[in-house]
Amino acid sequence: MAGPANTTATTEVPGKKEPAGFPPFKTETFPSQFFWLAITFAFLFVVLWRLATPRIASTISARRNQINDDLAVAQKHRGDAEAASAAYQTALAGARARATALADNNRKSVVAEIDKQRADADARANADIAKAELRINAMRDQAKGHVSNAARDAAIDIVAHLTGETVSTDDATAAVRAATGA
Amino acid sequence: MAMALNPMEQFEVKPLIEQPLFAIAGHPIYFTNQALLMLIVTVAASLFLTLAMSRRALVPSRTQSMAEMSYEFVAGMLNSAAGEDGLKFLPLVFTLFIFVLFSNFFGMIPGSFTVTSQIAVTFALAALVIGIVIVVGFAKHGIGFLMLFVPKAPWYLIPLLTLIEFISFCTRPISLSVRLFANMLAGHTMLAVFGGFVVMLGAAGGILSVLSIAPMFLIVAIMLLEFLVAFLQAYVFAILTCIYLNEALHLHDHH
Repeated sequence: MAGPANTTATTEVPGKKEPAGFPPFKTETFPSQFFWLAITFAFLFVVLWRLATPRIASTISARRNQINDDLAVAQKHRGDAEAASAAYQTALAGARARATALADNNRKSVVAEIDKQRADADARANADIAKAELRINAMRDQAKGHVSNAARDAAIDIVAHLTGETVSTDDATAAVRAATGA
Repeated sequence: MAMALNPMEQFEVKPLIEQPLFAIAGHPIYFTNQALLMLIVTVAASLFLTLAMSRRALVPSRTQSMAEMSYEFVAGMLNSAAGEDGLKFLPLVFTLFIFVLFSNFFGMIPGSFTVTSQIAVTFALAALVIGIVIVVGFAKHGIGFLMLFVPKAPWYLIPLLTLIEFISFCTRPISLSVRLFANMLAGHTMLAVFGGFVVMLGAAGGILSVLSIAPMFLIVAIMLLEFLVAFLQAYVFAILTCIYLNEALHLHDHH
């Protein structure tokens, strides 16, 4: 930025319909450019440095904290839920075990009761059967006696009828015995 | 018509008020079309980034989301390039990024002025960056900051490499400023040239008027490209600032 060149150039207003020359290299415009750039850039820097950047940074970090907190709470809730679920599972397993044990006991006692009652019934039935057999045997013997007596009487009657002789009871009995092979 | 015929005319810095406002050290200061655009850019960016955050909603609105996105974009860039301790330069890098981005995008409005198409502006920004890098480097490492120019290499290569590193460091403000300036200048010149074609063909009459539709489509395509360039150059300017700050903070031992 040569001083004399500038002062001569700025005597006429820059940009005043002078198409000659490459516009960005017209040094007489540089002071104005630097001035306005310094003002605007400094202003923007202060605004971004003092207002925008802290606001954006705090908003972003607040959001990040919020998300992290929410995640932590959610994690805690999940842990609680998992613990509750585990407790429920153990309680359920315990209850199931108790129920199974109770059912087992019940079944055993019922089965034992049934067995006992069956054994009693069997015993009673066997006793009845034994008594009945005794009675049957007695009745059979009695019946046998009746049959041989009837045979003896019949033999006495038959002999008396056929021969007119009276056979003694003892002879008749012996004869019946001999005939039946008893 | 005159504007269409001279594609350089759009880069002319013209006073909007004939009389200079005042003079600094003999240099008159005018209120120019560029000054107006700088004011618009600054006010728009300030309003956008403060009003969008005025509610500080937990669930952001669309504008708040955009403001946060631009912030996190720059913060992420700075953090990955310069590490945690680079984040204290976030306001600076954020301002650079937003200023260049808004300047580029406001320049895309037909008939407006592209602030960043002026080498004076881009060079001033680049000089600011390099100046801060030098100040930070010497403040943090003292004279050891000069070790930045001495890479790890066999001893007989050190003098040559140091010279190369030194030259590369000195060209940084130039490359940083010219890259942005040339990109914006070339893009807008191209748009003006093709715009001139459309006008000339249209004015020629007959079959040529019909043909003027071709450069029209081309302009649309270049316009889209220029929107990409507008963002990309703001990004490049910001990321290079981050990389230079990283070197000032960590010399060569980081990355």
